[in-house]
Amino acid sequence: MTTGVTKWAGRTREYDLVKEFVVALVVVSVLTVALAAVFSSPDEKQITISTWSRGAPNDFVLTAATELDGTSGTATYGAPYNHTPDAAQKIGPVSLQHIAGVTHPIDTVADFVVGPLTGVPADAALAAALAQWQGAAAGQQQKWASGYDDALSKATDNDPAQVKSGDYGPVPVMLTRLLTMAQSGGLDGALLAQKQFFATDYTKPLLFIADGSYLEDRARAQHLGGDQWGMMNETGNYPGQAWLWLYTFWYQVKPFSTSGNADALVWGLMALLSLALVLVPFIPGVRSIPRWVPIHRLIWRDYYRGIRT
Amino acid sequence: MLVMGAPINLNHPGHYVHWGVIQISVANLVVISVMVVLFVLAMLLPFPKGRNRR
Repeated sequence: MTTGVTKWAGRTREYDLVKEFVVALVVVSVLTVALAAVFSSPDEKQITISTWSRGAPNDFVLTAATELDGTSGTATYGAPYNHTPDAAQKIGPVSLQHIAGVTHPIDTVADFVVGPLTGVPADAALAAALAQWQGAAAGQQQKWASGYDDALSKATDNDPAQVKSGDYGPVPVMLTRLLTMAQSGGLDGALLAQKQFFATDYTKPLLFIADGSYLEDRARAQHLGGDQWGMMNETGNYPGQAWLWLYTFWYQVKPFSTSGNADALVWGLMALLSLALVLVPFIPGVRSIPRWVPIHRLIWRDYYRGIRT
Repeated sequence: MLVMGAPINLNHPGHYVHWGVIQISVANLVVISVMVVLFVLAMLLPFPKGRNRR
């Protein structure tokens, strides 16, 4: 049978793939253990709602006010947390964020503020405040919450003690108690409470913390911000994910650096570039680069020297 | 309990190099440089001499 395949007539060389694999595995394992012993690993303390509310109580109360009046990052995020219209990032007409729908519904008022507060025992003032809140119409609740959020934003250092007097209903009492609960660690526990025995779903506390400026300030101080090439950085003096350089590069240049749609656009561009990488053997010009830059001839120079002579 | 610390502690504020839009940590720069050096060495160092057969 003619297969059209010609047998290699040049020199051959024995090659033990298993031996190379074992040697590489041993070398990498020894290097990993040795480097871990010498350099250890990043050791940043975990940021919890408790540490945040004790470190930046004014930021915590201001953030809680935005959760209550529905203007926080989480409350306006859209899918997968809520149905905020026009919040989703798109590639052209395709709204990637909405494809999977609202899979993890979060109502910031009930989940972050009112729900946890209803678990606080033996506090008559809080019970009265919650009863006033729950007995009010939605419009009135929004008026109280927005009014307090607005006044708190304008207060010196966003200090609740400096807020101008006004009709904020039960909001100041609710947020003061929420701060106390947060500082004691109770809010961390309340937001982690879930059906399964082991608490592994940190979505709610993480979203709440991320809505404030404390986490972002800490991240920016460690060069972890999106516009600081943060995706490829690690805390301290440790090397990070250097292989993400191209992904994070796009976030530094226009139009991505100024677009509210940057995540979707960068994802789409990287998907396109990854496809191009897979298809290199089929792309005219690009597939000829090894002919113009013959690095393989340098690696296999003995062979090429042999066939020349 | 005695806890042994790492001989080289890297849990200090990082150092960064800025060059226009490019911003890279010195640690990443070191790792990338080591990778480039290894790549060049892999190209230039001769293969171990095995038993050739024709």
